Amino acid sequence: MSTPSTVVDHSALKVNQTGIIVTVLVAFLGSVVFRPLLVLIPLLAIVLLLGTFAPQLALFKQLYFKVLKPRGIVKPRPVQDRPEPHNFAQGLGGVFLAVASVFLIPVPVIGLALALLVAVLAFVNLAFGYCLGCQIFFQLEKRGLVRA
Amino acid sequence: MSAQLWALAVAGAVVLAAAGLEIFRAWRGRRLVLASSSGAARRVPVNGEDPYVLYFTGDSCTVCKTHQEPALARLGNVRIDKVDAVVERELADRFHVYTLPTTVVIAPDGQALHVNYGYASAPKLERQLAEARRAGLPTAATA
Repeated sequence: MSTPSTVVDHSALKVNQTGIIVTVLVAFLGSVVFRPLLVLIPLLAIVLLLGTFAPQLALFKQLYFKVLKPRGIVKPRPVQDRPEPHNFAQGLGGVFLAVASVFLIPVPVIGLALALLVAVLAFVNLAFGYCLGCQIFFQLEKRGLVRA
Repeated sequence: MSAQLWALAVAGAVVLAAAGLEIFRAWRGRRLVLASSSGAARRVPVNGEDPYVLYFTGDSCTVCKTHQEPALARLGNVRIDKVDAVVERELADRFHVYTLPTTVVIAPDGQALHVNYGYASAPKLERQLAEARRAGLPTAATA
């Protein structure tokens, strides 16, 4: 098996996942008393999708690299890893949130449920290290649908 | 408020359904591998005396690097055959590898005794290896 030569800072991934969970929870719980807070969900979708294609625009990762890491608030955790599966997982989260955004006005139950599922998956990744998007990436790679 | 409660219920139902599906897939995969262990799995290379672990991994598997490999390292002097599930697709399919990491404990005679889909801790693997060692003892010795 080839060993990935790239290094991924897993602390950046954890900060990203925390950002997703907090934003969805604020939107979900906050919308009970202040409905316009639901706008956070489409905004989060934009942030995740932009970050997937242009890492310099990944808001939470930039927060980590520009603020949390230099000030020693979060310690770096470099792991020999490939960034592609993580980017794929982030993009998938962004797509789910974009679909959730479409449903938020006409069928809020579906929109909110989809957003909650993204938060649950981010939490599972943060707490247990299980990345569903990475598993889907593996299945696609195994079938030759994405290139290594 | 009712939209939030319904959304919570829908998300909860989806999570439960996904967990159920995951348990079913693991159970089915394990059953298929163990049921055919006298056939297909016997074709895996045999070690002779000691049980060993067939470890399916891949470049896209983060848990493999952060959790599974340290757990395997804790096993000490146990043979670990690392297999790239993307490259060795045929072997991965034979063991119904649908998730990474997957670890298979192979008895000295080449029979698959345990299949773990997802992360398997060192104590769990140690227990399975001990069982495989007992299974590998010659019956004549106890007769």
